[in-house]
Amino acid sequence: MQILSYIGRRLIFVAPQLVGILLVTFLLLKLIPGDPAVMMLGPFATDEGLARLRTELGLDHSIIKQFGIYLWRVIHWDLGTSWQTTMPVTSDLAQRFPATLELVTLSLLLALSIGMPLGVIGARSKNGIIRKLVEYYGLAAGSLPDFWFGLVLIFIFYTILGVVPAPLGRIDFTIIPPPEVTGSLLIDSVISGNWLALRNALGHLILPVLTLGLINAAPILKMTMSTMDRMLEADFSRYAEMCGLPDRVVARKALRNSLPSVITIVSVLYGFLIGGAVLVEIVFSWGGAGQYAVQGVLNADLNPVLGFVLYSAILSLVIYLIVDLIYFAIDPRTR
Amino acid sequence: MSEAANSETMDQTVAEPLLECDGVYVTFPRYGAEEAVALRDVSLTISRGEVLGLVGESGSGKTMLARAIMRLIPQPGAITSGSVTFEGTNLGELDPEALRRMRGRDIAMIISNPRGELDPLQTVGQQIGNVLRYHLDLNSKDVRERALDLLKQVSIPDPQRRLDAYPHELSGGMAQRVVIAIALACSPRFIISDDATSGLDVTVQAQVLELIRKLVSERDTSMMFITRDIGITAHYCDRIAIIYAGEIMEVADRGVFFDDPLHPYTVLLLAAFAQNERLRRYWLGEDKVRENSGPSAVGCAFQNRCVRVQQRCLAEHPVLTEHRPGHFVRCHFPVERP
Amino acid sequence: MSILTVDELVQHFPIGGSKSVVRAVNGVSFSLDKGETLALVGESGSGKTTIGRCVLGLIEPTGGRINFDGTTLGRHRTVRSPELRGKLQLVFQEPAESLNPRMRVFEQIDEPLRALKMPRADREAKVRLAARRVGLAESLLERFPTEISMGLQQRVGVARAMISEPEIVVLDEPTSALDPTARAEIIDLLIRIQRELGTAYLFISHDLSAVRHISHRIAVLYLGKIVEQGPSAKLFAQPSHPYSVALLSSVLLPNPRIKSGGKIRLSGEIPSPINLPPACYLAGRCPMVIDRCRETMPPVEMVADNHSVRCYRHKEVSELDKDFDSFARFQSEADRILGAGIPEPIKIGIPENAGDR
Repeated sequence: MQILSYIGRRLIFVAPQLVGILLVTFLLLKLIPGDPAVMMLGPFATDEGLARLRTELGLDHSIIKQFGIYLWRVIHWDLGTSWQTTMPVTSDLAQRFPATLELVTLSLLLALSIGMPLGVIGARSKNGIIRKLVEYYGLAAGSLPDFWFGLVLIFIFYTILGVVPAPLGRIDFTIIPPPEVTGSLLIDSVISGNWLALRNALGHLILPVLTLGLINAAPILKMTMSTMDRMLEADFSRYAEMCGLPDRVVARKALRNSLPSVITIVSVLYGFLIGGAVLVEIVFSWGGAGQYAVQGVLNADLNPVLGFVLYSAILSLVIYLIVDLIYFAIDPRTR
Repeated sequence: MSEAANSETMDQTVAEPLLECDGVYVTFPRYGAEEAVALRDVSLTISRGEVLGLVGESGSGKTMLARAIMRLIPQPGAITSGSVTFEGTNLGELDPEALRRMRGRDIAMIISNPRGELDPLQTVGQQIGNVLRYHLDLNSKDVRERALDLLKQVSIPDPQRRLDAYPHELSGGMAQRVVIAIALACSPRFIISDDATSGLDVTVQAQVLELIRKLVSERDTSMMFITRDIGITAHYCDRIAIIYAGEIMEVADRGVFFDDPLHPYTVLLLAAFAQNERLRRYWLGEDKVRENSGPSAVGCAFQNRCVRVQQRCLAEHPVLTEHRPGHFVRCHFPVERP
Repeated sequence: MSILTVDELVQHFPIGGSKSVVRAVNGVSFSLDKGETLALVGESGSGKTTIGRCVLGLIEPTGGRINFDGTTLGRHRTVRSPELRGKLQLVFQEPAESLNPRMRVFEQIDEPLRALKMPRADREAKVRLAARRVGLAESLLERFPTEISMGLQQRVGVARAMISEPEIVVLDEPTSALDPTARAEIIDLLIRIQRELGTAYLFISHDLSAVRHISHRIAVLYLGKIVEQGPSAKLFAQPSHPYSVALLSSVLLPNPRIKSGGKIRLSGEIPSPINLPPACYLAGRCPMVIDRCRETMPPVEMVADNHSVRCYRHKEVSELDKDFDSFARFQSEADRILGAGIPEPIKIGIPENAGDR
């Protein structure tokens, strides 16, 4: 019951948090030089034309009023249109956000399944060669730029070996994508039973997921290893040793006690990668949400940027809520 | 010297020795300096059913001795010399797996700060169960029954409910009882209690001490009771050993020990309780201006704090000698009483 | 004559996110005379530390009054107020934590004087005097706290508290983190300084052998109430409250023949100060409990001069054991054991050959 009231209390603050995030983003965007009217009409626009367009776009109002108008529309789930794609932002994002989510989720799953076991192994083999190797991996992966690593992978596996499809989007142009249900190509192909599309989409996912997964395994690895180190030194581990419990049981206890920090770092990475994967998205022409937002910033196209921020903020809040629920499940002290 | 001396104690107490430490050295290598000696020539025997009190201040090596017996010396320390024999087996010759099976089953530990030493994420029942499962191969149902039975033995109120409690839900005294239950789980022949009651309130401490003593004597278990409070040992131990700077300074049966202590350090420990101000002042050396005087590496380790220090103590390291039958002391000038 | 009077002090702490409160102190009254030591004795949850903090003005009491040197302490008049600065001082339980690891011993001791804005030249001499007073060698003044033993660290703590020559020092478990010998040394040191400077001590502790030594009067606390208060010797010899008896019985003196009284054994543990028992707080644990104890809180009764107790059955309790004082019984034993090594005639001080070491 306690947990329900906790979730309730959390939800009360969601709306003001979102408005705050939007306001800050709105003001920051207004600080960036660049007049959308000029961008839209091009270099040969007349002064009257620009003035008319500004009035149409509502740019002649005060910033606060502009924000008010925007907020009013958001409440009615109208995020405006992008003048670049001429499509409503909601429908653009409906396509692009799942693309990014799919990429980031799979990458983090990979990162977690590499980083956590390696961290545990490293922590358990104190002063051994294995620990050294694990540390080197963490160092190397932590210092490589992800887009560069992606390019290297493309060069090896596409250009030289030719074992993966071209880094051009999420699925071959020649293959008809499954009807959109969730926006995730994998899930949608499974739903519609389109195995050809599934195979192809998987092929396209391999390199970007490998890129992000191998790079982001590093922070997970370091966090797991340092927390495990601490937990294996903790009083309860020494006591378990003195009770003659097998090493693996002691390690399992230590791992369980380390989980909260691992989950924290994963959640932070998740929120970060929604926008932070943009360079990798560009390298693989992924057409994801980060790419969409960056285009918007570069072209003074405000609505896509705000829409992206709103989506990411909601996602982050959901992730943090889930993290809290996991803590709650793991640690009796939080109950 | 100490070896021969110890075998005589055994004869005296009749019972065969359960545990025997013989000339144990534990050292820690240090970069660019001489290695640090944590235990120096420690020889002790503990007979069946005997409770030995080991008294020392923080950093004296008393916990290190417990860890040396358990073969759990923290890195990079090591037992560099001497042996620990338990029921005729030299523990140094056992492989890691055999040592693991010995810990918790044959030799159990009761520690201080029980709430920090229990796993915060497991229930009391699970933690008692772990020990039962890995040492006695019991199935889940038996484990739970046995755990419940153990909680009853350590007089925990409402044991059924406590079985599913987490450590943070227990009071200090309650958690200490759980740790005692874990120690008793496999009916060990030897229990080491390391400062087990220091964190408890005094009225609770009295309850826990009574409980430990009762359980140990009922089962004829031997025990090493490590503490920094010499007062406790007078009432709960059969024999007392004093450790200072990793060395045993004095060992004797309780009656003799408190009646006629020989080492100036022992007397100093007793003086801390006395009311007579002049005697207190003399032994505590109150009027002396304090330098940072730790144990000395040359000569007698205690020389920097000894009020009776003489020329000989500065140069010559004293050995543990049997001053009178069963009463050992490491001092050139033991305190004589008429 | 009293320089400190505490009158019906109440301190409740609300618990965040709930309606319940921790009732740490529930109506405590006592006074402290010049140059006197009053020990507040109790176990965890007794409220003894909270009382010390209230006296220092570190927390605002929920109710009651604290009067220091003729004026009431409160929100605007605390230890930190300019007119009181340096008159009330504190010695902490954990010497290592109370000292700044990046300051040399000299600067630590100097700290209160700097707060008093005393000129540098005067301070220097005062610090050296204070260090000598607590038996710290001159050479230690340039060390950092981490370089010296815990016993010496606590001497620094005492020197720092004493340097402004305060009227009252609150000693919050100053010995409980120390080894027994260091403990005894600090107690002896505090006694000597009190004789020299006439400082009053509020000595907060659960360590009864220390309390026996240093205090003139004792107040025994249980769940934020004083259950018994009286002169030290009287209380140790003939305690009148079951809780005092149990507390004193738990003292283990280093002599197997001297068993503590032990006529009263408390069951269970201290209840939570969030849900206090309805009448006498000890009723749930006391072997001498009667129905009345569960119905109304016993009033404070005077059993002798300056000796008060809060128990319906205090007469019976005080007559349980005529030969109760184990410290007194230990005395003759201790004299024999300790007297032996001392060169005749008893010389106080150190033998010549150890003097230059």
